[in-house]
Amino acid sequence: MLELEEMALVERPEKKKPLGPLFWLCVGWIALNIFGAIFANVLPLQNPLYQNYSAINVGPSLHHIFGTDDIGRDIFSRIVYGSRVSIAVGFGSMVIGFGIGAPLGMLAAYRRGRFDTILTTFMYILLAFPAIIATIAVLSFWTPRSVFKIILVIGLASVPLVYRVIRTATLSVATKDYVIAAKVQGAKDRRILMKELLPNIAPIGISFLLIGIATVIALEGTLAFLGLSVTTPTPSWGNMINESRTVLQQNPWLAIFPSLALCLFLLSLNFIGDRLRSHFDVTEVKL
Amino acid sequence: MLRYVIRRILMLIGIVFIISVGSFFLIHLLPGNITAVIEGPGASPENQAKLFKLLGLNRPIYEQYFVWIGNILHGNLGTSFISQTPVVTTIGNALPIDLEIMFLSQILAFAVAIPMAMRSARKPDGVIDRFFSAGSFTMLSVPSFIVIILLVLFVSIKLGIPHTGPSSYVSLRGDWIGNLESMALPAITLAAGSFVVYFRVLRSDLIATLQEEFITMARSKGLSQRRIMWRHAFRPSSVALLGAAGVNIGGLLAGGFVVQYLLNIPGLGYTLIAAINTDDYLLVQGIVLVVSVGVVLINFFFDFIINIVDPRISRE
Amino acid sequence: MTDVSEKLLIVEDLSTTFATAGGPLPAVANISFDLGRNETIGIVGESGSGKTVLSRTIMGLQPRTNVSVTGSVLLDGNEMVGASEDFKRRLWGTEVAMVFQDPMTSLNPVMRIGKQIDEALRVRLGMSKQDAKARAIELLELVGIPSPVQRYKAYPGQLSGGMRQRVVIAIALACSPKLLMADEPTTGLDVTIQAQILNLLDELKERLHMSVVLVTHDLGVVATRTSRIVVMYAGRIVEIGATRDVFANHRMPYTRALLESSPKVSNASHTRLITIPGRPPNLLKLTQGCSFAPRCSYATDKCHQERPELQAADQPGHSFACWNPLPTTRGDSAT
Repeated sequence: MLELEEMALVERPEKKKPLGPLFWLCVGWIALNIFGAIFANVLPLQNPLYQNYSAINVGPSLHHIFGTDDIGRDIFSRIVYGSRVSIAVGFGSMVIGFGIGAPLGMLAAYRRGRFDTILTTFMYILLAFPAIIATIAVLSFWTPRSVFKIILVIGLASVPLVYRVIRTATLSVATKDYVIAAKVQGAKDRRILMKELLPNIAPIGISFLLIGIATVIALEGTLAFLGLSVTTPTPSWGNMINESRTVLQQNPWLAIFPSLALCLFLLSLNFIGDRLRSHFDVTEVKL
Repeated sequence: MLRYVIRRILMLIGIVFIISVGSFFLIHLLPGNITAVIEGPGASPENQAKLFKLLGLNRPIYEQYFVWIGNILHGNLGTSFISQTPVVTTIGNALPIDLEIMFLSQILAFAVAIPMAMRSARKPDGVIDRFFSAGSFTMLSVPSFIVIILLVLFVSIKLGIPHTGPSSYVSLRGDWIGNLESMALPAITLAAGSFVVYFRVLRSDLIATLQEEFITMARSKGLSQRRIMWRHAFRPSSVALLGAAGVNIGGLLAGGFVVQYLLNIPGLGYTLIAAINTDDYLLVQGIVLVVSVGVVLINFFFDFIINIVDPRISRE
Repeated sequence: MTDVSEKLLIVEDLSTTFATAGGPLPAVANISFDLGRNETIGIVGESGSGKTVLSRTIMGLQPRTNVSVTGSVLLDGNEMVGASEDFKRRLWGTEVAMVFQDPMTSLNPVMRIGKQIDEALRVRLGMSKQDAKARAIELLELVGIPSPVQRYKAYPGQLSGGMRQRVVIAIALACSPKLLMADEPTTGLDVTIQAQILNLLDELKERLHMSVVLVTHDLGVVATRTSRIVVMYAGRIVEIGATRDVFANHRMPYTRALLESSPKVSNASHTRLITIPGRPPNLLKLTQGCSFAPRCSYATDKCHQERPELQAADQPGHSFACWNPLPTTRGDSAT
């Protein structure tokens, strides 16, 4: 409600919204999980596949920090090893999705013209098609399943959405005056313009990337529930939770701990993504 | 206005057409020998070849497609080999269930999200807003299947109700109380996911709208806060909400099946999974088509409503 | 001292401070003036002088968070500063109303204009639907909108700028307020329309016996339509007095600079526009001295060190804040 002129008088100090300690806590948590996933082999963990029939459905104890599952496997170590699947699927498929979708989106938005129209129409049609169903259909027929196949299918399925988001973001930046000014100034090399466009799209892109990873990881869990994720005995957060269904009353821990691991990871990702977005969003009015 | 509607309908037809092609080819390009399945184990190659010819599977693929489309226009989606029932019947039985779940869950989601968003927008960053926002953000990170597991865990363990197995569906015609009981869990689960989206979208849009000049003017007229919120702020903000609803509901039609599958509710999603597992390709094809078209129709419908709410859009 | 009950509006030592990321922002500081019934006062200043914040604060419409208001605003005996939202709401529309600057943003774009007028009548005056509609059409006619019955159903986007502003005025007048705050009511309208709207306001205020606070940056607007003028700079009053005195006998150099910088039709063509050098000060970093000193050609050392208080000029009701005022041009304010 301050007049625009009055706001100009204020010479607002360049204070971006601070990231906050909670932000770094989440970053730390993600880093911890990734560390665990990568170095699981050398960490002092129990064997995640070893079935100890004398210790079935044991609750949390000294020997088994999170207890054991219904065939005597240590839950804690399975969670750590299981993070590999979730993280690999999450990050891997986003690499594919962004690797293909983002450059196409940027190019289409920047070039416009026929290239853009054809490609965008194509992508929008793909978007109309429920990707989940296609993913399920493909994965259920393409056996035997592997992490790689899952990453590939989900990655490809996410390309249209990434394309649309990046293209929309690029469009809103590319029409800004300073880009046109750069053009008029004769910036010949398109790469220079990438230096104008890219830094402005990066924040939105990164935050969408993180949210995308979170969505995919949740998707892996869903697939596991349909029996479409990695096959047991390979642990994944999703299929651990799936396995817990049958022994829910006897061993709630099998449901709780992987769920906790999954939710905390997703929460951290979402939080980081959201914080980054509001940190870089200069247009968010905060008066 | 009329031009806008015509334009959209044409687009609709175009998209539906392409979807039908997509559904058809998706199924036919997948590996899996249909004849082996139908004949059952131990089928001889000659029998399979005969069946192959009988089903017309030896015809060129585009011919098969046109046959299929022709049938559709007669309302015939084929008869499933596995279940011996016409696909249309199967879908017809399953679809109302989906619709009911969607309807119930959305009512719940809106009933909670709208008042919460209004309360939050009145005092952004206040205590209540922080609480609501943090809560909904957390819920955002809990996938639907975990919600179900936790709900089931809670219900069976804490409340001591024995968990004998997934609750079975009770038809509306039979016993409407039982029907609501069996629908409660899936409706709540889906509502939870939807409500988070609606809350966030509406809250941020309301906050933006409340900063507009005409709201100050409405204040200066001496109108009550409640009236300003409902009559002046909500309507422009509801555009974004409707947009989110369109996308969300479309997604529910396609994605609500996990919930169905887990709780043995025989909606489209459940039927689809079962069909995939039994290689019932006709049924899969039919469901994919119906769901895709449904999603597109829903989006179209919501676009239309948004137009009525905010006439500025169609004037572009 | 004037009889308090005669004055419709008494503003005393009013200050509005915003809490911003860069520190407290004193948008309005130590404003005092009063307004009688059926009187029109003009508040003049550059963009950023605080005049809009002032008009909103007087009405009690300032934002509810991060703002602190001190001082007193007595509106027909009602204290507005520190009053509860409920209390103020009862006065809004029926005692005081505001005409906003930009009719495109101050009207609800998705609500028909007839309904927007009706609303005030039905909610505040308890009129029935038919009565309200009839009265609304009357009001549309009053503000000079042709074919009011058809226009009643229009959306704001379907009207021209001038018409929209008339609608805004109609809404403001709907409940017959005693005081009308007009915040730059014609800025952004075509020049020809500006005159129409201002004349309309004059007419209406006569007919309806209203007092008007006319906020503007354009001195031409206030010259013939106000009985008194308040000149603001950097959130403070730098000169206040009868219109004639401020125009003819101003003492504060800023007032002179304002007068000189408004282009006059009577100037020969290609006359260079006089501007005031420099920029308005950053309200977050105000110095101790007079806020205008950095741009003032008459500034002395004292001007830079100490902020001048208002002092009386020769004419009654005329005061200014300056250490080194312009000399009086005429000895008295005789007609």
